[in-house]
Amino acid sequence: MKTRGVSIAACLTITTALLASCGSGDAGDDGPVTLKFQALSDQPAAIAATESIVEDWNTENPDIQVEIVPAGWDGVYDKLITQFNGGAAPDIIHFEAASIVSFARDGYLADLTDLMSDERRADIPEGILDSVTVDDQVIAYPTELQSYVAFANRTLLEDAGVEIPTGDTMTWDELREIAKATTKGDVYGLGWGLSSPTATFMSLAPGFGGTYLEGTGEDATLTIGEGEMALPELVHDMAYEDESILPVTMTQSGSEAIASFYAGQTAMTVQGSYQAANIAKDAPKDLDWVALPPLAGPEGPQQAANPQTLSVNIDSEHVEESAEFIEFFTQTENLAALNEADALIPATTSAQESLTEKLGDENGWSTILAGGQNFVSAPYLFADSYAQWKDTVATPAYQRYLAQETDETELADQLTSGWTEITQ
Amino acid sequence: MTAPTTSRPPARTPRPGRRRAPSGLDRARRREAAALVMPSLLPILVLSVAPLLMGVLLAFTDAELVRRPDYQFVGIDNFTRLAGNSFFWDSFRIGMIWAVAVTLLQLVAALGLALLLNSGLRLQSLTRVLALIPWAMPPVVVAIMWRMIYSPNAGPLNAFLGSLGLPDDINWLADFSTALPAVIVVGVWVGMPQTTVTLLAGLQQIPPELNEAASMDGAGAWRRFTAVTLPSLRPIVTSITSLNFIWNFNSFSLVYVLTEGGPGGRTMLPMLFTYLEAFKNRNIGYAAAMGVVLVVVVVLLLTVYLRSQFRDDRVETKKKEG
Repeated sequence: MKTRGVSIAACLTITTALLASCGSGDAGDDGPVTLKFQALSDQPAAIAATESIVEDWNTENPDIQVEIVPAGWDGVYDKLITQFNGGAAPDIIHFEAASIVSFARDGYLADLTDLMSDERRADIPEGILDSVTVDDQVIAYPTELQSYVAFANRTLLEDAGVEIPTGDTMTWDELREIAKATTKGDVYGLGWGLSSPTATFMSLAPGFGGTYLEGTGEDATLTIGEGEMALPELVHDMAYEDESILPVTMTQSGSEAIASFYAGQTAMTVQGSYQAANIAKDAPKDLDWVALPPLAGPEGPQQAANPQTLSVNIDSEHVEESAEFIEFFTQTENLAALNEADALIPATTSAQESLTEKLGDENGWSTILAGGQNFVSAPYLFADSYAQWKDTVATPAYQRYLAQETDETELADQLTSGWTEITQ
Repeated sequence: MTAPTTSRPPARTPRPGRRRAPSGLDRARRREAAALVMPSLLPILVLSVAPLLMGVLLAFTDAELVRRPDYQFVGIDNFTRLAGNSFFWDSFRIGMIWAVAVTLLQLVAALGLALLLNSGLRLQSLTRVLALIPWAMPPVVVAIMWRMIYSPNAGPLNAFLGSLGLPDDINWLADFSTALPAVIVVGVWVGMPQTTVTLLAGLQQIPPELNEAASMDGAGAWRRFTAVTLPSLRPIVTSITSLNFIWNFNSFSLVYVLTEGGPGGRTMLPMLFTYLEAFKNRNIGYAAAMGVVLVVVVVLLLTVYLRSQFRDDRVETKKKEG
């Protein structure tokens, strides 16, 4: 333990050597090919949907068997790093665009440009395909997209005399007004899990004209201006001027913050759209909830696209077979079933249409799917240092700001000087 | 030891008739010993010494965790870069606060507990086993358990405070002012058993006559503690605090699970920082340099501490002799 960093690094090197020597032994062309598919789905319905798709594939393709290796979203970045370096990475890798890009840049992922069918390529909206294209190579199939949605407790809103917003979008100012109106007694207007606020703020920034990063790869530059600061400032004002955000939720994760929504302590909560599946399942029976229209800033309701992805390990012995499986996995009916289970937005147009047709307005689906029209390519996906800046600079800096330890100027300064220090 | 009963034995003189030159039998014995030691030495060389050396060497390269890494020797670049890294030194300062606070509190609390367990209360054997429980739990389990205890919504701690009429909405692990103290409490709790057990063993070594003699001379409980118990425990206290300091300074899993270094980097211990550098930023060369710096600093601090302890010892012994 004395030299943890050192010995981890050293152990890794040894492990690499050992695994490399073990790995070369098991070739053999006889028998069916087995592909390892590391899946991160953590909601029971989504796990079932994934299993059923894999089962269908295995029945249809006796020669190419797919084996699911379940893993969790927590710490999967660290896990993949060790897996890749240990030569033990699975054939098919489930992750998200923002974080998989750095693996692509390091050359761990197979180029799927020629393996992706034209049908699929045409079916994926351009902004989303951009988010999985690195240096002109398609390195992943996008599968599911998350948008941020405000859910409201209808009873609390009506008690406060607020009309439930309808229409194509609602503005952030409306959200602020409703939060103010519903804050009284023990009830707060809004609960928002902002313990790791960076991804949330950056995904929602396009609505305020915020871009954060310009350029790609190593040359990306960070700007923190009005558009980038607008949302953090709004949250800050709501929390400390209006006092309409339940303070504890700002230090919790989204799924922790939702507990106070169930308990009727908050009238609204901003969550990833996938929480709709959990709310429909877990919320108390007497909770009358509704998904509010997509939130729009001065620039519109755009959110940054950061799809979940399926990629192929470049060192896999069966790259083509793996791509075939992903092609099957992303067929319209499969993608629709998976996204329905996860309450997320399918990454292909045909699957989005199929879901709209099937589900109508049930459980806030129309709102969730409406968010699908508002995705724009996220520039931060293409900056090499994004993942690093997010964890070591941005998240602590935002946490300090939201806890009133620093003010706007200090926040902006910390974000930019941290970027400089990392990229120097 | 500075107990009055011990006096230094006269320096040993070599026994007459002791053979100087090694005979054939000696050599055979030596070979035998080497053969016996090898099986246990080999794992140490392979599993400890080799990785340690490789780690130190990595610190002088620009190694990264990438596919087909290609790294070069960069001299002391990593170290000069590290000297100017304000984030690292911030985390270093937090690490020092954490390690010193946890070690001192552990010592005080464990000493109290050891005295209690040594005082001949009823059910002593049961309580001694109970005191060991935190030691038997993996750090991750401890951290999850304490996260539940500290939970701002449903945590028993806040519920308890509320029932006493105190504020019950303290967000222990996420509030900037309480996060580090809250984590330190957990650190103390989890590290108390080994300190307690060691001190308890030390207490049992003190001859009861010393205490009796002191009380005959009219010393009260406190005087007996400061004049008899504490000086007799000195060597044990020195060694257990040094070990605890190393252990605490390098602790990782507990804080990683409790706060992941948050809020706002307030609990970013150096080992967490190094981990992030190695596995988030993938600069293992740079991270290895951090590891080396940390080891060197810990060794330096301990040298100073142990030296001062032993010097005190020598001074006192001299005084008594003179």
